[in-house]
Amino acid sequence: MAAIFFYLFAGLTLGSAALVVANRNTVNGALCLLLSLVGLAGLFVLLDAYLLAFVLLLVYAGAVVALFLFIIMLLDTQPAARKPFKPLTLAAAGLGGALLVMGVLSFLTRARLALAGPAETAVPSLKAYAERLFTTYLLPVQVVGFLLLGAMLGVVVLSKKLDSAEKAR
Amino acid sequence: MTPEILRAIADSNQWWAIGPEMILGAAALALLVLEILLPKEHHRFIPTAAIVAQAVTLLGTLINFQTAWLGQETFAGMLRHTVYGQVARVFFLVSSLLVSFLATVCLPRTRMPRIEFYHLVMVVTAAMMLLAQSNNFVMLFVALETITIGFYILVSYFRDNPLSLEAGLKYLVMGALSSAILLFGIVLLYGAVGKVAVAGQTHTGLEFPILADFLRANPDNFVATVGTLLVLAGIAFKIGAFPFQIWIPDVYQGAPTPVTAFLAVSSKSAGIAVLLILVHGPLAALQPLLGPVLIAAAAATILFGNLAALTQRNAKRLMGLSGVSHAGYLLLGVAASLTVSWAIGAVWFYLTTYLLAAMAVFGVMAHLAGKDDADQELEGYDHLAKDSPLLAGVLAVGVGSLAGIPPLAGFVGKLLLFVAAFQARLYWLLAVAIVGVVISIYYYFGWIKTAWFETWRLPGAAESPGAHPPSTEPTLAGRLTLGLLALATVLLGFFQGPLGAWLQR
Repeated sequence: MAAIFFYLFAGLTLGSAALVVANRNTVNGALCLLLSLVGLAGLFVLLDAYLLAFVLLLVYAGAVVALFLFIIMLLDTQPAARKPFKPLTLAAAGLGGALLVMGVLSFLTRARLALAGPAETAVPSLKAYAERLFTTYLLPVQVVGFLLLGAMLGVVVLSKKLDSAEKAR
Repeated sequence: MTPEILRAIADSNQWWAIGPEMILGAAALALLVLEILLPKEHHRFIPTAAIVAQAVTLLGTLINFQTAWLGQETFAGMLRHTVYGQVARVFFLVSSLLVSFLATVCLPRTRMPRIEFYHLVMVVTAAMMLLAQSNNFVMLFVALETITIGFYILVSYFRDNPLSLEAGLKYLVMGALSSAILLFGIVLLYGAVGKVAVAGQTHTGLEFPILADFLRANPDNFVATVGTLLVLAGIAFKIGAFPFQIWIPDVYQGAPTPVTAFLAVSSKSAGIAVLLILVHGPLAALQPLLGPVLIAAAAATILFGNLAALTQRNAKRLMGLSGVSHAGYLLLGVAASLTVSWAIGAVWFYLTTYLLAAMAVFGVMAHLAGKDDADQELEGYDHLAKDSPLLAGVLAVGVGSLAGIPPLAGFVGKLLLFVAAFQARLYWLLAVAIVGVVISIYYYFGWIKTAWFETWRLPGAAESPGAHPPSTEPTLAGRLTLGLLALATVLLGFFQGPLGAWLQR
């Protein structure tokens, strides 16, 4: 059962990742990235890393991709005709691809993997993380609050329209 | 975790131990509330309120200097309160007070909102104070990021000036890069030492004492060595040490003058404070690696800073590049402190003299700056001695102290560092540093000469185009502040008194 889900999620991750690169339309590309991240989160769930899966969805799928979409729509880029690659780009891409293939091949043929899984470790629960945030890491969490407030103020200060009232003050 | 453990950790959250930081943070928030509540015509009192709040915090910190938490860890090991942490607190508070004073001179010239500036300065200062007492990489990084994000905003604050925006962008890119390098180093150290924070685990490897124990047992761990070097590189970015000084001139020139002063004094000192904590705490076991790295960085930084400053004709760029050389002298002190223990005090003494002198010079620059804050050419200092003897006098004392001319405080600061380096047998580095001082006298005296002596011109030639009287006449408080800074610089040169004796213990 788990194997079926693994192939399903792996296929989703890889397939939509390939679509991100292949897509001419940048909005579609960003949405494919979202799908790829969902697949990755599914893989994390299969590994019992629920918190990681949750954070991945929340931060990357929720915030980062939404940010990408904002910027793409703000810039309003038209899908342009593909430019021909420069020879140097081609050479670098070929070299990188060859290295990757060699790495995977040598991993498949030479690696000696321990067949037994890692020793059974207690999986940290969401509760354990929360307890740490409110005890050990309470001070950094508070400081991060000031950091975020500062970032928000910065957006206001650096992008607000300067009105004449400011001048009079 | 059992409730007992949780309770024990919660009990270590001694909020009174970080009283000064809490007061600053609360006051910073109160400023924003005041801006909303007060009617517009009373807004001009808010900067005064900010300065009063900082002065009160400074006074409270000085009164409670021998705090009950000295030598203890609080917040589950996040902070460690030391004497040098207390020195750093006082240092950063004095610096932020002076930056706020510069802001009251510079901000009214522009149309920018004012209150947010003081808010950010106070929050960044509180973060610096936490940074100088951090005992855990999580705390260190969070405090450092708060400082960096605050500076991104402050550097680009005069956004109707393209140079300020350019400086903001450059600082953003370089700051993000340096944070990434630092974080990568921290992660490698964590990978070498740490364990995932699973239930029941009491440490993660990000605590400085744990890291120190690990490195003492495995001083030649490859991953930890690479991590250490990356952490050092990240800090070198922040203090502007060679070869990571590339951002300094443009950012210093484009940033508003108070922010340039804040960067030059507080940001650099925060980097040095972190470096001192790290090389004497968790990384102490790696001395065979740290020594050569610090010595090479110090020598290259001193030479680069002084040579690059030679050709500068803009006062802010000059301060930036000569600031690079001061970072080099400080690195020399840090390198010496690996073997000579009193060198830590010498580094702090040098920072104090640098604070007084640099703030005096920046104070003069703030009063002289025209409409375009980035355009502060040295030609603008022509006739300064005639137009405003006070400003010219303060400038001469400040620049002289930066150059290290006896009997000013900067001379004693340099002397202490050089004696420490001599005792640590860093003879070659000492020779490089002395060559650096000689070079620096040329450009520093060029500046004094422009301000004090007539430049010979062809008879009938037009007045020097740059010369102009101070665009803001110093107020009474301004005169007092500048005079006090100059007086302190002179007095500290003759009489180091309790400060010097105490720092040399």
